[in-house]
Amino acid sequence: MFTLVIGGAASGKSEFAEGHALKLPGRRVYLATMEPFGAEGRGRVERHRCQRAGKGFETVERYTDLRGLETLPGTNILLECLGNLTANALYSHQGGGAQAVLDGIGHLLSRSAHLTIVTNEVCSGGTDYAGDTLTYMQELARVNRVLAAWADLVVEVVCGLPNVLKGVPV
Amino acid sequence: MIFVTGPLFSGKRNYVCQTLGLSREELAQRAVWDVQDLAADTSDLEELAEKLSACEIVIASEIGGGVVPIDPEERAAREAAGRLACLLAVQAETVVRVVCGLPQVLKGELPC
Repeated sequence: MFTLVIGGAASGKSEFAEGHALKLPGRRVYLATMEPFGAEGRGRVERHRCQRAGKGFETVERYTDLRGLETLPGTNILLECLGNLTANALYSHQGGGAQAVLDGIGHLLSRSAHLTIVTNEVCSGGTDYAGDTLTYMQELARVNRVLAAWADLVVEVVCGLPNVLKGVPV
Repeated sequence: MIFVTGPLFSGKRNYVCQTLGLSREELAQRAVWDVQDLAADTSDLEELAEKLSACEIVIASEIGGGVVPIDPEERAAREAAGRLACLLAVQAETVVRVVCGLPQVLKGELPC
């Protein structure tokens, strides 16, 4: 099952995605895509680690090139989050751009039993953007649209509550 | 009138073309989009909403989700865009919100 969970900042999308992944069978892998920069980044990682503690997720950190990731068949992967992964692909050296993100996710889909991806809604805060920011918004929105088309289940999380856009929740 | 809203780059025009079987040329004849940009330039939002409602399809991007802008003009523009969307939703027979290319009907029913 392929699930896409989208929401704004601090909307409760991670908690929802985790709860969803816990209902699915298979060896649980948490695929962390955020490279922790500075105290804020480390604090964020710590908060998410505490949230996951005791839930049986093996954490794998991968910031770019998901295609090169060795994935055991039949795993239940929770990837967080696509906003970071896309930024890494667009702006890090040899990141490969948005296409590398889509190829990488295609690779994960071909190997895993279940894949749940957390992504960000960053395009409802106005149109007054330019340059790299606008490019990032366009590319992340494109990746979100492609993945939503591929997904079995698409859920928008608002105030911690699921708004199902496609499919049937487990 | 069908009112279609949703975040920027969420695939609103694509959705309309696919659902109603329109080419891009036909869309240009039957729809208006980016109407959120028109809101700032009018002193009468109700009149603008009324005028837009004469179109078959009206498309707007949601722009009110971020932090309140510091610049008073931007603040007013954003406010006007939100108010215009509310007025259009009242006028519309059907309101659809598109997120990640996926439609959700908020009012009425989709035309078959």
